[in-house]
Amino acid sequence: MDAIRLTNLVKKYGPTVAVENLSLTVRAGTMFGFLGPNGSGKSTTIGCMTGLLDPSSGEVELLGQRFDGGNSSGNSSGNAAGNPAIKRRIGVMPETLGLFEPLYAHEFLAFVGRMFGLDDATTRKRVTELLAALDLTDPGKTLSEYSTGMRKRVAFAAAVIHSPEVLFLDEPFESIDPAGVSLMKQWLRRFTEQGRTVFITSHVLETVERICTEVAIITKPGKLVWQGDITTFANDGAISYGGQEFKALEPLFLHLTGERYADLNWL
Amino acid sequence: MNPSLIAELVRLRYKLMWAKTRSRNGRIALFLAGYILLVMLIALLTSGGFGAALVAVRSGKAEMVARAVLGVLFLEGLIATTILGFGMNAIFSETELRRYPVNATERRVARHLIGIVDPFWFLFLALEVGLAVGLYAAGAGSFWLGFLAALLLFLCNYLAARVLALIVDRVMQRKSGAFILLAVILSLSLGPSLLIPAFKENPQLGRATVNTLRYTPPFGAAAAMVRTDSGAVLGLGTVVWWGLGLGAALVVLERRPPHVRVASQSALAKSAAITFDGPFDRLAATLFDAEDAPLVAHWLRFYARNNRFRTFHLLSLPLVAFMTFAVSAQSGAGGLFATALGTIGCVSFLASSRISLNLFGYVGGAFRRYFLLPTDPSAALRTGSYASLLLSASILPFALLAWAVFAPVAFDPRKLFMLAGTGTTGLFVFHGLGLWVTLFNPRRGNYSSSLGNDLSLGGNIVLMGGVMTGIFLPKALLRWAPAFVSAGNWWEVIPLALAGIGFYVVSLKAAGPLFVARREKLLAVVEGRG
Repeated sequence: MDAIRLTNLVKKYGPTVAVENLSLTVRAGTMFGFLGPNGSGKSTTIGCMTGLLDPSSGEVELLGQRFDGGNSSGNSSGNAAGNPAIKRRIGVMPETLGLFEPLYAHEFLAFVGRMFGLDDATTRKRVTELLAALDLTDPGKTLSEYSTGMRKRVAFAAAVIHSPEVLFLDEPFESIDPAGVSLMKQWLRRFTEQGRTVFITSHVLETVERICTEVAIITKPGKLVWQGDITTFANDGAISYGGQEFKALEPLFLHLTGERYADLNWL
Repeated sequence: MNPSLIAELVRLRYKLMWAKTRSRNGRIALFLAGYILLVMLIALLTSGGFGAALVAVRSGKAEMVARAVLGVLFLEGLIATTILGFGMNAIFSETELRRYPVNATERRVARHLIGIVDPFWFLFLALEVGLAVGLYAAGAGSFWLGFLAALLLFLCNYLAARVLALIVDRVMQRKSGAFILLAVILSLSLGPSLLIPAFKENPQLGRATVNTLRYTPPFGAAAAMVRTDSGAVLGLGTVVWWGLGLGAALVVLERRPPHVRVASQSALAKSAAITFDGPFDRLAATLFDAEDAPLVAHWLRFYARNNRFRTFHLLSLPLVAFMTFAVSAQSGAGGLFATALGTIGCVSFLASSRISLNLFGYVGGAFRRYFLLPTDPSAALRTGSYASLLLSASILPFALLAWAVFAPVAFDPRKLFMLAGTGTTGLFVFHGLGLWVTLFNPRRGNYSSSLGNDLSLGGNIVLMGGVMTGIFLPKALLRWAPAFVSAGNWWEVIPLALAGIGFYVVSLKAAGPLFVARREKLLAVVEGRG
């Protein structure tokens, strides 16, 4: 089954096109890397897939059902009644972490847990376990007093607390220490082993190459230029594209998105 | 000192102001019109000051009038900046300025230069300079001394406003801050009504007070503006000394780190034992269904934790009580009740106005969370408004109790019923309007700021309009249609309250879909991109 299917997704801000006719399919159980240069439309695409933004046209399907973000504002894609049910099955860690700064971590996570339909006992158990596992046990500190890395951990915990079937992570590993990253990777691997899907955007290509099985690369404005299996790299294989052989993700990415060279003699 | 870097920072402040308007369609014209209006206002105020000076000299009481004008201006400058926040929103904080290659002194100079060249302060300078020029033209003093006095007084006023704002900010950061502020405001409010009879009874006291006030900046500046003898130099010296003193106080206060509340060991131990089911969760679960209850509890927690909200929640009842007595002072028991009918509506929104008129203004990037939740997205708006309604309504019973116990009129249950009715009307009408302002004129605010006015123009219009209506409508009714505010017609408040509730319900229903449709615009504003 396909976990995510985008068909001719377009997102415009006035005359500016942020995503142009993007069509993409992600199979369930995949650790999927969604790559592109800065400003290529990755976060906008995730916004359209998770209900934050209204696509200008095109369709988003999550877990086999059409999704319009649960926003019954009268646009063509409809099906608002089913959407809160889909939202309950997905987890999102946005690029802007979106934390309620004056709250304590446990209050924020308990709020998210309740909103996602967990009963009180399960919420308590999961919040306590997540806080301990992610080393967020500092009492008396509100989220505004946390370091960037700790805030990122809280946002990650909020994305997984309801054990979603599809997890969207926008730049998840930035600012987190190696121990935290290692733990998160463990959890993500287990996620996909259980048939669930992880959709990651990241600029750290080495990490993507190590953990993802499939990758899509987009360029400005949100145009898909390549999608394929990258497990070949782990087996010392190569990927052929345009008559060239690429033995790692980075040269392939740079080739597809346009490698730049500028000689600034004062630098 | 690097003046070119400092000037570059001041220029950047205006460039940012300009860029802000450029990013919105059609705002450029508005901006230009705003500045043309401002320049016209400055010209008007200058001529106003000039006119006051001519009147002062012709009446033969030049120094007295100058003292009164400058004194009132000085106090207005303090009140407008400290309470309403005008002219205090400098673009750069100390932390932001640390990014640039400027030292501590240059940062301080840059910050205050940016603060003092705010267009708001120019209005005060215009009046003061107008007065000085007018006094000179009428032959009452020296032009240069008067002009210098106006400039120095302007500087003193700015420094005093900064010092006062910092002191209030520091006080508010303490646990007892709200009570200290309450005591100060009550003393300042009640002071004049106690002092005026004392002055009337004892003229000697009045003269002694005026004598002491000679050593304040407005009185010193007045002396420098109207005199040419040693009194002028003494007056100018007074302003200079005050300026130096306030400058030193400002430096000391800015260097002193803000008081950080350190939790006691027992508090830490208590917070270590995580509680999941607080009073807000229980209250929301009692009043709302399973879908809305967690969101209402979340909003209650979010706003009830706000130090500023809590302070104003405590202050609003005594403030409104004072307002009621002050406004109705001359109109007897009937006037007191009529005034209370209007002002009790204010008690239900004064404290919560910052929330109810700008529901999402303080959540920042967390705004996007509401759209990731598996609920109807308009639930965020609905529940936010419910939470504000609950917090505001919580003060109404106390207001009614205060009326029943303290009002110097015979107890009449019909009057209490009418007060409850107009209070409810005010509560719902205001929250209905708050929904529209939240949707169409939101503003990004600072959750932890203790002072200042961070409401949008629409928010200010609704707030000020609400207070003005609360004060003047019952007075107008008492004069032209007294039957409307008489206890005999107690039943009138029933349809009034129902109309208020109806307006709120209709607003809530209409605002839901609009909220979803406008979410990208709201997101841009609350995340600081719009």
